[in-house]
Amino acid sequence: MAHARMRLFCRAIGLLVVLSSALAGRAAADVLPSQPITLLDGRLVIGGEGSVSVSPSDPGYFNFTDYNHNALRLVRLGVTAALSAGRHVTVLTEIRTENWDALRPYALYVRVRPWTRHAFDIQAGRIPPVFGAFSRRPYDADNPLVGTPLAYQYLTSLRADALPASADDLLRMRGRGWYASYPIGSSDGGHGLPLVTAFRWDTGIEVSVGDRMQPVSLSVAVTNGTLSNPLVGDDNAGKQLSGRVEWRPVPGLIVGASGARGPFVARAASNALPAGVPRDGLTQTAFGVDAEYSSGYWLVRGEAIVSRWRVPPVSAPFITSPLQAVSAFVEGRYTILPGVYLAGRVDHLGFSTITGSAGPETWDAPVTRFEVGGGYSLQRNVLLKLAFQHDSRDTVRVPTASLAVAQLSFWF
Amino acid sequence: MAQDPSRRPFPFHRVPLRGLAALALAAGLWASGRPAMQAAGDTGTIRGRVRVERPLPPIARRPTVDRLGMPEPRDEPDRYRSVVYLETAPQGAFDQLKPAHAVMNQRNETFVPHVLAITVGTTVAFPNSDRIYHNVFSLSKAARFDLGRYAAGHSKSVTFERPGIVRVFCDIHSHMSAFILVFSHPFFAVTDERGEYRIDGVPPGTYHVIAWNEGTASEPRPVTVTAGGTVDLDFVLR
Repeated sequence: MAHARMRLFCRAIGLLVVLSSALAGRAAADVLPSQPITLLDGRLVIGGEGSVSVSPSDPGYFNFTDYNHNALRLVRLGVTAALSAGRHVTVLTEIRTENWDALRPYALYVRVRPWTRHAFDIQAGRIPPVFGAFSRRPYDADNPLVGTPLAYQYLTSLRADALPASADDLLRMRGRGWYASYPIGSSDGGHGLPLVTAFRWDTGIEVSVGDRMQPVSLSVAVTNGTLSNPLVGDDNAGKQLSGRVEWRPVPGLIVGASGARGPFVARAASNALPAGVPRDGLTQTAFGVDAEYSSGYWLVRGEAIVSRWRVPPVSAPFITSPLQAVSAFVEGRYTILPGVYLAGRVDHLGFSTITGSAGPETWDAPVTRFEVGGGYSLQRNVLLKLAFQHDSRDTVRVPTASLAVAQLSFWF
Repeated sequence: MAQDPSRRPFPFHRVPLRGLAALALAAGLWASGRPAMQAAGDTGTIRGRVRVERPLPPIARRPTVDRLGMPEPRDEPDRYRSVVYLETAPQGAFDQLKPAHAVMNQRNETFVPHVLAITVGTTVAFPNSDRIYHNVFSLSKAARFDLGRYAAGHSKSVTFERPGIVRVFCDIHSHMSAFILVFSHPFFAVTDERGEYRIDGVPPGTYHVIAWNEGTASEPRPVTVTAGGTVDLDFVLR
C-alpha cells in the first residue's frame, strides 16, 4: 500500500516536472498570459490563479483543512475580479474551487473610499480578515513554501457545533482535530477549529485608516463569525470585534499587532447545554503580533498568536476554561539566483493544561513543524516549489510525518 | 536545417518575444556586405512616425482581494512609445559602441521610461524614487538578473552585455513592467509622445527598418539612405 502511494506520488511529481520543463523551454516567450484582463475601459479587471500541489498521503492529518482537504494535495483554481464604479467604489470578488468542489466565493465585498484624498476605506461583505498577517496572503506566490503555518491551518480538537461535557471528553480527542466528536450539540463527527483559518473569510464590515505609504495604519472589523470559524450568516447572534495596527518604522520593516474577540459556539450547540450551565461568554479571544523585514535578497517573517476559547463547565472533571493555544512561527526566504530562492519555516503550536481523570495534560497535542524548500520561476508568473515538511506531535497515533511536496502555480 | 542568419526575417511580428533571439542574431549581420561606416557629414537620416492602432489598455493592477483598503495611486506607463531600428547594421557599427549609461527610474509604482533602447555594454541604473521598497528583476534570456529589494534613495545598476529584449519587473508590484531593447548597433530611436522618431548618422546604403511596440513588430521596410539625405518612413502597427 505504501509502495503504491509512493509510486503515485512519484508519478505526480514526474508529471509536474515534465510540465515545468515544457513551460521552462518556452519561458522566454511568456507563453502564458501575464497581465490581468481588462474590460469596460479598464473598469473591470479580471485576474486568476491556479495551483497544483502533490504530496504523499498524510495519515496523521497534519495538513488537513477539514476532513477531506489536504493543503499539500490540492488543485486550486480561482478567478478574481474588481469592478470600479468611479473613484470611490469598487466591488471585488474571488471565486474559488478546491479539488474541483463547487465554486464558492472566497471573497465578495464592496470597498468604499468616501474621500479620495484621504486613506479612509470601508469594506463590507465577505472581507479580508484584519487579524494577523498570513491571513491576507491568500495567493500561493505569497507563501514561500507550500505548507501553511500551523496557527492558520492545523485543526485543534475544539469544535464550534459540538462541545465536550468534561475534561475527559476533550482529552479523548487530543490530536484528532481532523475528526472530533462530543456529546453536546452535533452528534456527527466533524473537523475541529484552527486558531485562525486561512481558508475561509468572514462576513462583516471593516474600516481602515492609513495605507502602506504611511507609517501607521489601523483597521477594525465587525464580523459574523470568529477567527477560527468565519461565517457568512451569523449562527449565534453574536459579533466578533477585531482590530489591527500596523507600524512601518523604516522601509522594509512592518510590525503588526492584532486582537479579536467574539462568541464562537453555534447556537445549536449552546442550546443543547443542560439547564443551569451558562451559555453566555463562550468566546474566542485572540491576540497576535507579527513582523516582516525585507532587504536585498532576504525576506524574514515571524508571527505569534495566543488564542483562548471559553467552553462551559458541564460535568466533572471540569474543563479549566479558557482553553489556551499559543502558536509561533518564523520563516525566511533568500533569493540565490534570479528566479530561484530557498526558504524555511519553523513553527510550533502548544496548548494549555487541563486536568482529567488520569491527571493533568495539555488539552490538545502540541505540534511542531519544520519545512524547507525552494522555488523556481519558470516565467514571471509560473512558479515551481519543492519542499520537505516534517511534523511531530505529542500523540501515540501517528506522532510524526515527513512529507515531500511539489507545487506548480500560475497567476495573471 | 539551420537557416543562413543573414536571410532570416526578423520575426518579432510572429511570436513577439521569440524575437529576442533574432535581436541577438543581429550582431552577426552587421558585417554581411554592408557599407563601411562613414564620416558624419556623409550620413543620412531616417525619420517618420509610428502610429499604434491596436488598443493598448492601461496595465492594470492584478485584482487581489487581500487588501484592507484602496491601493495607493500610481502613474500609468506610456505604452504607445515604440522603437524603430535598422534590422541590419552597417559594417563597422560596432566600432562606434562605447560604454554608456542610462537610467530607468521607479516612480509612483511605474518604471520610467516604460521603453528604453540601448546599445550593448550600456549600464542602466534603476533608482528607487518611491517611499516604498521596490525590486527589479528580469528572467529574459538576454539578461537574467535580480537586484533584490531596496529602499527610496538607493539605486542599483545592470550592464547589458547581450543584444535582445529584456522584460523588467518588480516582484513586489506585479503591475510594474518595462522593456529594455539592447542593440548591437546604434541605429535606433524611441518615438516621442507624438509617435515621431529620427535616426541620424546612418551611412548611405539600403537597409531594412522595423518598428516595434510592446512585442509587436512591423514587417521590415526597405529604405535607401543617401549622403546628406533624409528618408521619411511611417509605420502603422495594428
